[in-house]
Amino acid sequence: MKVKNVLIALTAVAFGAGASLALAQAKPEVLVKQRQAAMTLQGKYFGPLAAMAQGKAPFNAAVVARNAGFLEALSHMPWDGFDASTKDAKSEALPLVFSDTAKFKQASENLQAAVVKLVAASKGGDEAATKAAIGGVGKTCGGCHDDFRHKS
Amino acid sequence: MTVTTMTATGRKPLATPSAVLPCALRATLLALLLAAAGAAAAQGNAKQGEYLAEAGGCVGCHTDSKEGAVPFAGGRALKTPFGTFYGPNITPDPQAGIGRWSEADFVRAMRNGVRPDGANLFPAFPYPSFTKISDKDLSDLWAYLRTLPPSGRVSREHDLGLFFRWRPLLTVWKWMFFKPGEFVPDAKATAEVNRGAYLTQALGHCGECHTPRNFLGAPIQSRYLAGGKGPEGKTVPNLTPAHLKKLSDGELQDFLTLGVTADGDVPAEAMGEVIRNTTSKLLPADLKALIAYLRALAPIAGD
Ligand code: HEC
Ligand code: HEC
Ligand code: HEC
Repeated sequence: MKVKNVLIALTAVAFGAGASLALAQAKPEVLVKQRQAAMTLQGKYFGPLAAMAQGKAPFNAAVVARNAGFLEALSHMPWDGFDASTKDAKSEALPLVFSDTAKFKQASENLQAAVVKLVAASKGGDEAATKAAIGGVGKTCGGCHDDFRHKS
Repeated sequence: MTVTTMTATGRKPLATPSAVLPCALRATLLALLLAAAGAAAAQGNAKQGEYLAEAGGCVGCHTDSKEGAVPFAGGRALKTPFGTFYGPNITPDPQAGIGRWSEADFVRAMRNGVRPDGANLFPAFPYPSFTKISDKDLSDLWAYLRTLPPSGRVSREHDLGLFFRWRPLLTVWKWMFFKPGEFVPDAKATAEVNRGAYLTQALGHCGECHTPRNFLGAPIQSRYLAGGKGPEGKTVPNLTPAHLKKLSDGELQDFLTLGVTADGDVPAEAMGEVIRNTTSKLLPADLKALIAYLRALAPIAGD
């Protein structure tokens, strides 16, 4: 009897765990919305830096350092949103995201590496080096969009 | 320029009649040619040529994408449906580059898509656009290329499908699709719109990506700049007012100088590179003219 109860309890725990996992897994449309939100925020904090790098806006080291810090966190956020379950959801992601996951992962790591460089440069006080690092980040954004996104 | 001197400057002299000329005669010919080239180089304005090279985006295709690569020394891989092309070394190195070319050779390559040895050039080199560059600008471009430090970097062979690798076949392609000749201004358009048309069609070769192509890789002229599949098989946006009216002149100008939209969206690198190498380097009046020309295009629906 006892054994049976334990088994039932364990099974319940197992199902419970499963249920809570299923709950934690957001719906595909929500995952898409979240990853797009992360991208939008990257744009929000990257855009002003690109203007500074091109001399279109005055260079402001404090803003660069702050935005670089935000980008460091953001550059880790979009990727779990590209879950296989979202393959058929409406979005700007190209099918290659799901068929060449290694290349996609590499592109996300390129961004993270470029952002780490930007964070370091923004603390170094060298304006030219910081502007170059901003350009480096832009190339990794665009490099991934080249292969993996169809802008509509 | 005579046929003999053309072949004497070719890259494969062994395959040409000049190979049978006595050595001394060949040396004299070569010396004459080099002197002629030197004299011609003095005519163009190298400083202006540098600006034109930016307006033409030469550095992108003629420089390896590796960090620290020597500009214009070649190596950039260009993927197309027909295979991968590698932009060659166009520095003045006599062996690895185009150091032995004359200005006339250069003009013939840009205007007619022909190499000094008479072989056809592949239209992956956008001479179907560059053919429209004016004589004066070609002369300045040439003067600039002569000032580059020579690089011994050996150009890589293109990696093409068996059928496509055959240069003589291009004669047919050119006969069907290639119209050589300098840009002709539109008498009905303003000077500004004509300047923009020249920058877009001749130097900027925007149509190489923004005009859809047929299955033989030739642009469909009735849909000039109307977007569609790009050379790498990806979709490229429509630049006619049908689509571009969504952006104000100011927004377009910012996009083409900064490489980001107002909300920080970054374009695909194919365009990012054009912005970095070309449109962000244009003089303000030239960028304005380019935009005025895009605005004056007949709207073509679809993307
Ligand atoms: C590893 C690939 C990758 C990198 C790196 C990347 N992006 Fe994206 N980005 C995408 C994909 C894929 C989409 C389309 C997502 C979708 O529609 O679900 C996208 C969409 C966007 C969007 C549109 C979001 C929306 O609301 O639809 C913006 C803005 C954007 N990216 C900005 C950036 C910026 C700025 C960077 C660099 C700081 C960047 N991206 C780096 C892959 C990437
Ligand atoms: C879109 C890419 C692209 C751009 C832009 C481009 N080129 Fe090239 N170019 C090529 C390729 C590819 C070849 C090789 C063609 C072939 O082998 O038939 C080439 C060949 C040449 C050659 C002949 C070299 C040789 O050894 O045969 C010259 C000269 C040249 N380009 C000059 C220029 C100049 C000047 C510009 C800028 C005004 C320019 N190119 C812009 C891709 C490009
Ligand atoms: C090597 C290919 C290539 C060339 C050459 C090129 N473009 Fe583009 N362009 C693109 C691609 C790809 C995009 C789409 C970028 C994206 O998906 O974010 C684009 C986007 C644009 C846009 C944004 C359109 C929109 O919908 O927001 C403009 C404007 C533009 N290009 C203008 C030009 C002009 C002007 C030239 C010539 C000086 C040019 N392009 C040359 C590939 C190219």
